[in-house]
Amino acid sequence: MTDMLEPAKLRTSSRRTAAGARPAERRPAPSRRPEGAAGPVATRAESPAAEPKPQKRLVALKKKHLLGTQGLSAEEILLILDTARSFAEVSTRSIKKVPTLRGRTIVNFFMEPSTRTRSSFEIAEKRLSADTLNLSPGSSSVVKGESLLDTARNLEAMAPDMIVIRHQSSGAPHFLARHCRAQLINAGDGWHEHPTQALLDAFTIREKKGRLKGLRVAIVGDLMHSRVLRSNIFLLKTVGAEIVACAPPTLTPVDLSRLGVQVTWRIDEALEGADVVMMLRIQRERQRGGAFPSAREYYNLYGLTVERTRRAKPDVIIMHPGPMNRGVEIDSAVADGPFSVILEQVTNGVAVRMAVLYLLAGGTLGELAD
Amino acid sequence: MASLLIKGGRVIDPATRTDAALDLLLVDGRVAERRPTGQGKAAVPPGTRVLDASGRWVCPGLVDMHVHLREPGQEHKETIETGTRAAAAGGFTSIACMPNTTPWNDGLSVTEYIVAEARRKGVVRVFPIGCVSKSGEGKELAEIGDMARSGVVAVSDDGRPVGNTYLLRMAMEYTKIFDIPLIDHCEDKDLSAGGVMHEGYVSTLLGLQGMPGAAEEVAVASDLAVAGLTGGRLHLAHLSTRGSLEKVRQAKREGLRVTCEVTPHHLVLTDQAVAESEFDPNTKMNPPLRREEDRRALIEGLRDGTIDAIASDHAPHHMDEKLQEFDEAPFGIIGLETSVPLILDRFVRTGIIQPARFVELMSVNPSGILGIGKGTLAVGADADVTLIDPELERPVDVAQFRSKSRNCPFHGWTLRGWPVATVVGGRLVHELQTAAIR
Repeated sequence: MTDMLEPAKLRTSSRRTAAGARPAERRPAPSRRPEGAAGPVATRAESPAAEPKPQKRLVALKKKHLLGTQGLSAEEILLILDTARSFAEVSTRSIKKVPTLRGRTIVNFFMEPSTRTRSSFEIAEKRLSADTLNLSPGSSSVVKGESLLDTARNLEAMAPDMIVIRHQSSGAPHFLARHCRAQLINAGDGWHEHPTQALLDAFTIREKKGRLKGLRVAIVGDLMHSRVLRSNIFLLKTVGAEIVACAPPTLTPVDLSRLGVQVTWRIDEALEGADVVMMLRIQRERQRGGAFPSAREYYNLYGLTVERTRRAKPDVIIMHPGPMNRGVEIDSAVADGPFSVILEQVTNGVAVRMAVLYLLAGGTLGELAD
Repeated sequence: MASLLIKGGRVIDPATRTDAALDLLLVDGRVAERRPTGQGKAAVPPGTRVLDASGRWVCPGLVDMHVHLREPGQEHKETIETGTRAAAAGGFTSIACMPNTTPWNDGLSVTEYIVAEARRKGVVRVFPIGCVSKSGEGKELAEIGDMARSGVVAVSDDGRPVGNTYLLRMAMEYTKIFDIPLIDHCEDKDLSAGGVMHEGYVSTLLGLQGMPGAAEEVAVASDLAVAGLTGGRLHLAHLSTRGSLEKVRQAKREGLRVTCEVTPHHLVLTDQAVAESEFDPNTKMNPPLRREEDRRALIEGLRDGTIDAIASDHAPHHMDEKLQEFDEAPFGIIGLETSVPLILDRFVRTGIIQPARFVELMSVNPSGILGIGKGTLAVGADADVTLIDPELERPVDVAQFRSKSRNCPFHGWTLRGWPVATVVGGRLVHELQTAAIR
């Protein structure tokens, strides 16, 4: 096979071709290309080119796990987003499948309820031709009192290549990373991180705005219990966006401003001049209670209404990681309105997760370009 | 007649204002004679074993006043036998054990069991601490009189703060009869509920639920007010914040009968350790590791005398219990085998505290607080001695610990200054293999 790592390929290619991605059969570097392998393509015309291109562009993600966006470099983030762009095309085909991860086994180990993230990962895996297994607390031996580590080690004994883990305890994926051999992807740990959500948010913003750097992003809602907030802060700070975080003081974690964000409890101030408004769900299941008197009062003080949205830029986009509490943090008129990109986030989630799985499996961007 | 001659060491005995090269003769469990090294020969009984202590410090046996031995009831974590072996290896000749066993040590039978088991299998002296309240439930007073009679040297509900101020008042009045201190773990459980680490920048970064420093300070303030009301003896366990120390400093100035302790881990680590270790449950303890400014304030307290004692809060947990998600793992780390080298390496070698102050903090004062009559090498005193090699440098290796548990965040740290021999009642109960014995 030829060396397909040449970075210029992606930028120069404008051909639509059926011979794009190659399955990565062996980690870390994929080495074989079966005949007729079909894959996604990247095209120059669609490429958002606002970010300054580094001299030598990163084409491979040299990471074993994806545990968080903290510690990801700007180059790594852009690599994932560029790769996702290539994969987005796959989902528009009538046959939405590439053989890229054929023969790989991926376990979706979800210890917390999830609709979007779990199905998004599963679809992403299936479109990459991986074999998938879904485990949830009800269907696992956790209900019989098995420890997380034992459950993980037993799963591992069946030799999966990757484990996608969602867990209610912050740091659970890091704990497993210390004790397991499989590659781990954090699909949300406690209040800590949800890296693929932040990546799909960034992807969506970039698609809509053509850039990330210099944008003003308002994040409003339950900041305290939000892993989406933390992952977004780490990511957006790294790529040069400006963040204002807004919540009642009772739902604002201490010293949040030390993460390099503006913090306010005045929603109008947060929304003023925003390019992006990201609403966070009120996570009643995580709260001790007492953070606000009633959903009604919360809506009156912090709910995103059409009226309030007017303070933002005229081309603002409204985002929400879901699930939404309509009439609590967001009015339906906004959620379903013209500025909302909430469902596009969900669509983009599949492409972003395909990119993450592909890159962690050792795939490179150059190969996708052909 | 058993006798031991400890020869040529530097005897550091602040109780007798001694810091000199002395030979120490121990006979029948007592300090029989002290004589300047090289000046004449002591009347050494035949068959006396000689311990060469040249280059070593000879200190009154160290006392750890806050230890969890887990027996009865939680023998998978530690037993009186393994815990006292760990104590001996760590240079301690006396330890006080907390009552949160299963069942709680809230009456005669458990106290007597601990005393008897310590006599059968213990390697160092064990002083039980009894409950303040029945089953540590914070409702009614435990039978403190019964326990005091059978050997309890203090009362505490351990990890459960005596939050009911009326009960606290009654307990502090009642303990006057026996002249024993009430030891309280200061924590306002309403403020700290659900927390697993210090609330601050690092907890925000990691998305872990925090326990604010104020949770401790609120309880300290409340306890000090009740101590003032009753005039009883109050000892505050493992203080961890600057604000707590300031309150104790003020209370001491006002003449309250209050003492306090601090742990080596709060003196050495901060909440950054949780982030740096990526959620290692061996950085999870209660009170939690605090901010750098708190750590600095604790060090200042060591220096200015606000802190009376260093205690390990030795909290053994089975590996299976600690090998869990950070949220799920129990609080606490072991400390008996690392306390002395941590303090020597970080605070004595660096000149922050003098060797005599080290002996006060780890022997004289805890002994005085518990009223157990240790903490000196005066002639006639119990022959409890800790030998320290201030120059010995070696790594902490949990695989070599005598404790049954391994929950220690200091594994792999290289520390200078280690206990090398431990003598209890004139009997050598532990010696480090590198220690020269002749």
